[in-house]
Amino acid sequence: MVKVDIRQLNVWLKGNHVLKDITLTTKENAVTAIMGPSGCGKTTLLRAINRMNEIIAGCRTTGELYINGRNIYDGETNVYELRRSVGMVFQKPNPLPKSIFENVAFGVKIHKMANGESLASIVERSLKEVALWEEVKERLNDSAFSLSGGQQQRLCIARALAVNPEIILLDEPCSALDPIATAKIEALMRKLAEKYTVIIVTHNVQQAARVSDYVAFLYLGELVEYGPTKHVFENPQSKLTERYLTGEFG
Amino acid sequence: MGFRKRGMSHFLKRLKAEPVEVILFLCASSSIIFLFLMLLFIAKEGAQAFLTFGINFIIGSVWETNLDLYGAFPLIYGSLMVVAGAVVIAVPLGVVTAIFIAEVLPFSFRDLIKSLIELLASVPSIIYGFVGLLFIAPQVARLFGISSGTVALTASIVLAIMSIPTIVGVSGEVIAAVPRDFKDAALALGATKWQTIKSVVIPTAKSGILASIMLGFGRAIGETVAVLMVAGNVALIPTPPWNYLSPVYPLTATIAMQMGEAAVGSLEYSALFGLGMILFIVTFIVNTLADAIVKRESKFRSGVK
Amino acid sequence: MSKVREKVLFAFLGIPTAICLGVFFWLASVLLSGFGTIKWNLLTASVLNGGYLEMIVGSAYLLLGAAGIASPVGVLAAIYLVEYAPRGRLTRVIDQAINNLAGVPSIVIGLFGYTFFCRQLGLGISLAAGWFTLSLMMIPIVIRGTEEAVRMVPNAFKEAALALGASKWRTVRSITAPSAAPGIITSILLGIARVAGETAAILFTSCVLVTRGLPKSPFEPVMALAFNLFVKIVALGESPDKVFGIAFILFLMVISLAAAATAFRIYYRRRQPWLK
Ligand SMILES: Nc1ncnc2c1ncn2[C@@H]1O[C@H](COP(=O)(O)OP(=O)(O)OP(=O)(O)O)[C@@H](O)[C@H]1O
Ligand SMILES: [Mg+2]
Repeated sequence: MVKVDIRQLNVWLKGNHVLKDITLTTKENAVTAIMGPSGCGKTTLLRAINRMNEIIAGCRTTGELYINGRNIYDGETNVYELRRSVGMVFQKPNPLPKSIFENVAFGVKIHKMANGESLASIVERSLKEVALWEEVKERLNDSAFSLSGGQQQRLCIARALAVNPEIILLDEPCSALDPIATAKIEALMRKLAEKYTVIIVTHNVQQAARVSDYVAFLYLGELVEYGPTKHVFENPQSKLTERYLTGEFG
Repeated sequence: MGFRKRGMSHFLKRLKAEPVEVILFLCASSSIIFLFLMLLFIAKEGAQAFLTFGINFIIGSVWETNLDLYGAFPLIYGSLMVVAGAVVIAVPLGVVTAIFIAEVLPFSFRDLIKSLIELLASVPSIIYGFVGLLFIAPQVARLFGISSGTVALTASIVLAIMSIPTIVGVSGEVIAAVPRDFKDAALALGATKWQTIKSVVIPTAKSGILASIMLGFGRAIGETVAVLMVAGNVALIPTPPWNYLSPVYPLTATIAMQMGEAAVGSLEYSALFGLGMILFIVTFIVNTLADAIVKRESKFRSGVK
Repeated sequence: MSKVREKVLFAFLGIPTAICLGVFFWLASVLLSGFGTIKWNLLTASVLNGGYLEMIVGSAYLLLGAAGIASPVGVLAAIYLVEYAPRGRLTRVIDQAINNLAGVPSIVIGLFGYTFFCRQLGLGISLAAGWFTLSLMMIPIVIRGTEEAVRMVPNAFKEAALALGASKWRTVRSITAPSAAPGIITSILLGIARVAGETAAILFTSCVLVTRGLPKSPFEPVMALAFNLFVKIVALGESPDKVFGIAFILFLMVISLAAAATAFRIYYRRRQPWLK
C-alpha cells in the first residue's frame, strides 16, 4: 500500500533550487533507501517528509506530498501532529541533555500521551524495541551522554518510536558509528519495517543493498532512478546510477 | 593543535628556542600581577580604617566625616538596595529579550537588533547618569509626589537600563550556543516552538543565564558615576528600610564623592580605600563564581558530566 | 497548544524586547536632539573662549595613550594564551585573572591608579597616570577579542607555514597575526570605545577642570569630556541642560567608535571566507 506519495516536489533553500520535480511513492512496511552523492539533496528530501525544512530560514516548497492520502502541504495539516507520526533520526546521534528515561519520555510528555505508570511502560517498550532495554534498565536516570555512540543512536530511535509514529525517517544513521554498532542498527531497521514504514538516507551502496526493499537515486536534486532494490542493483536503467553503484563517484 | 607541549622541562627547552616567549608570557601574566598589586596597595591604604574600627567598619551604622566615624553599613545597604532593585527590573526584561531575539525573532532582524543592543552597552555610564538626572528623576518625583527624584528607585531604574545590554549580550550568547541538534530533536518529535524553548533551550542554557545575571550583578554593584548622579547620596538607612523613595549613598558613590576632599593619610582617606577593598573582594567573588558556573556547564556539554 | 495561542504568547515575549529598543531610541533621540543646538565652531575653540577643544583633544590623548599601552600587551598576551600556553594550572589561573581584572569596578581601578601610578610611581595627577589606569581596563577587552580572532585562523594556514620549517614565532608573525589583524583591530577599537566615556577611573588620576592650553608633556594633567561633565554637574551643580553640549559630543564620540568597531568586524567577516 502506498504510504508516502510525493508529486512534483520542489524545494529552494536560500535561493538554491535543491530539489527539482521529485515524484515518487513509497510502500507501507518497506525500507526505502535514498542514495546519491554528497549535496544532491537527500537530507532535504527526507526533511520535506516531516516538514523540518521549514525551520530553515529562506526555505520554499512547492508541489504535493501525500501521507495516507493527505497532502501535508495543504495548509491545514497540523505540523506538530505530522512530526509526531513521522519520526526522524539524525546523522549524528542527538540525545537531549537529559537522563536516558527523560529522553525517551520527552515526546510522550510533549504530546501529553501518557504519564506515571503508563509513561514508564511506554519507555520500557520503546527501549525494548531497539534492544537497548537490557543494557540500560539499571541506569535509566543517568545522563544520555554516558552511553556509547551506537547506544545513543538506538536511544534516539527509541525516542522516535515512543510517540507511536507510522513512518521513521533516518538520515545516514550509521555514519558516525563503528561497524558493530552499524550492524545492530541495520538489523533493527529490518525489524522496524515489520511495523513501520522506514525511509533511510545512506551514502553507502552496500548498506542500501543490505537493508532496503526500494531504492531511490538522486543526483543534483533530481530523481534519476527509483525501483525495487534488486532491480536497480542488477539492472540499472541509467548510466549515472550504474556508475554510482560501481563506485565511480560518490 | 599539534604544537602544545606539557611540562616544565619542555617549557625551558622551548624558551631556549624562542626567547620571545618570555615576553609573551610576561604580557599574559600582567593581569595576575596587576590584580595582586591592586589587592596589595588598596589593602595597604585601607588597613588603618579596618584597624581603627574593626568589624564596626563593616557593620557600624554611622558614616560621618565630621565626627571621623566610618561605619560602612548604610553604604553597603545602599549599594545592595539599588542593585537589588535593578536586578528585579533588568533580569526578567533582559532574559526574555535574549530568548526572544535568539529564538523567536525572524532571522533577518536578529543581527540588526543584536547590534543595536550591543551599541547600547557601550554608552558610557556618565551619559546614563546624565539622562537619568535630566529625565528620569523628575518623572519619578512627579509620579510619587516627592520633592526630589534622586532616590534609590531612580538609581535602580538607571542601573537596570545599563545592565540590560550585558544580560542580553551574555545570555544571548549562551542561548545561541544551545546546539542545533537539541532543538532539531525536539522539533522533529513534534514539539512546538514554545515547547522547545521551555523544555530544551531554557534548561540547557539555565546555568549560563545564571552566570550572565551574576556578571550583570557584579557590574552593577561596581557602577559608580551613573548611580551617584541619581541616588541622592545620603548616608542613612531609609526608614522603613525598604523605602525606595529615599535617597541612599552607595559604596561607589561615597568613594567618588569624598576622595577629592580626603587628605592623604587621613582616617577618611583610609576608610575610602577600605570601601574599595570591600568592592574589590565582593566583585572578585561574584566573577569567580560566575566563571565557575560557565566552566562546569561546558564540561557537562562535552559529555564528561 | 494551538498555533494562535503560541502567537499570542510570543507577542507577549516580544514586549521586553520592544521596551529595550524603545529605551535605545529614546536615549538616542534625547542625545541627538543636541545636534541642532550645538555650535560647531566651538568644537575647535579653546575652553577659555567657551569651546571644547582641550576637552576633546585631552580625551583623545588619554584614549590613544591607553590604547598604545593596552594593544601590545593585550595582543601579545592573547597570542601567548592561544599559541604557546601549556595546558596547566598556571594557564588556568592567568585565564581566570583576566576575567577578574575585567570585573574590577572602575572606581577601584581609579583608587589603585591613584595610589600606585600617581603616588607610588610618582607620576602625579597626569596624562601618563591616566594612560596606565585606563589601559588596565582595556587590556582584558583586547585580550579576549584577540584570542577569538587568533583562534579563528584556520590551523591549515599555520600548519602550512610550520611544515615549511618556519619557527612558531615566525608563523605567528607572518601567518597568524596578519590573518587575525581585522579581528585584532576590532577588539582594540572596542576597547577604546569601552573606556572612552570612563569617568571613575580618571577622576583622581589624570584630570583637572581647566588647563591652560593642551598638556605639553605626559606628566601634566589634562582635561577630558567625561571628567568635565561629571564635575560640572556633581560638584559645581550646574544645571544639566547647560552642559548638554559636552554630553552630546561624548555620546557621539563613543557611539561612533563602537559603531566603527562593529562595522569593521562585519565588513571583514564578509571578506574572509574562512570565518564562515
Ligand atoms: N541551510 C541551507 N541553506 C542553503 N543551502 C543549503 C542549506 N542546506 C543545504 N543546502 C544546499 O542544498 C543542497 C542539498 O543539501 P542536502 O543537505 O540535502 O544534501 P545531502 O544529499 O544530504 O548531502 P550529504 O550527503 O552531504 O549529507 C546542497 O547543495 C546544499 O549546499
Ligand atoms: Mg545529508
